[in-house]
Amino acid sequence: MKQDIHERARNWLSDQQGLQPNEQAWLRHHLRDCAPCREYSEGVEQLIRALRSVPFAARPALVRSTQARVRTRAEELRRQRERLWLVLFSCLFVSLFGVGSTAFLWRGFAWLGHWSQVPDVVWQVGFAAFWIAPTIAASFLFLARGTHFADHNRSARG
Amino acid sequence: MSASTCYFVNGMEQENQEIALGLRHRDPDLLDRLIEQYQHRLMRYLTYLVGNSHTAEDLFQETWLRVLERGARYDGEHNFGTWLFSVARNLAIDYMRKKKPESLDAQSDTGSPGPTPVSPEPSAFEVVAGFEQSERILAALACVQPEYREALVLRFHEELSLDEIAVVTHAPLGTVKSRIYRGLRALMPRLKRALE
Repeated sequence: MKQDIHERARNWLSDQQGLQPNEQAWLRHHLRDCAPCREYSEGVEQLIRALRSVPFAARPALVRSTQARVRTRAEELRRQRERLWLVLFSCLFVSLFGVGSTAFLWRGFAWLGHWSQVPDVVWQVGFAAFWIAPTIAASFLFLARGTHFADHNRSARG
Repeated sequence: MSASTCYFVNGMEQENQEIALGLRHRDPDLLDRLIEQYQHRLMRYLTYLVGNSHTAEDLFQETWLRVLERGARYDGEHNFGTWLFSVARNLAIDYMRKKKPESLDAQSDTGSPGPTPVSPEPSAFEVVAGFEQSERILAALACVQPEYREALVLRFHEELSLDEIAVVTHAPLGTVKSRIYRGLRALMPRLKRALE
């Protein structure tokens, strides 16, 4: 559907900054000749003046309390980030140590099994339990701490 | 592009990049400065958007917390104000969804967007007359569909370009143009009556 010239002029009135010089010239020319579009243009001017005449200001107390909340939250996030790095480094260290020590630990358990003359499956289960126990303990610890963090954040926001 | 325009554009880009860097580091001093700088514009936008100054104040705080938490997502390529309005808009939409079935228009019944006078020392008459006129303008605006109202405010009050409005509202440029055009057609007769 083709736009008629009046519709085009009224559309352009809302975007005068984006118009090319030849389009602006066309608009000026059209407004000079077309009374309804001129009236529309005056209406737009009036609307802009009216909108800008409404005084708005954020309350200083609101601004101050927002700044305080943002600072507090920034500090919380900084601490969380530090803790996260600590956990990541710990995990990395434990993983590397685990990879490095597993072979020695296996040999140690094997020697202990033969020395105490228990079936192989017994010392192998012992080895698995010993190897997995710290991970399970750490998981429980992190889960508990994680719940604590979540509650803490909720109460801080509330 | 003239040398002065080029200098201005480069300056803006550099400022946006500095803001992006500061937000990535969650710099509290930068955030303090931004809150001061954008306080009135953001408050005005939110008040027009939700039609209620109390809700707008809550959303104002939430917007800055969101800016702090998700500041790393600001790439510094767009104007910071555009991104800020976009964050505020998303929060306002979430709020509206939670508040269903009331529409944006119904919000205005709970309280007009009470303007706070900014002029330093107006006379009592000027204050009352100005306040009444503001009330009438806001009432006329509240009758317009929310998406049209938002486009009008962003275009004529915040003086955002059509492209920037398209970024803020996540709408195609054609839709933005159409909203402004239809908004103007809907608002002008109401405003005329209100100002008579």
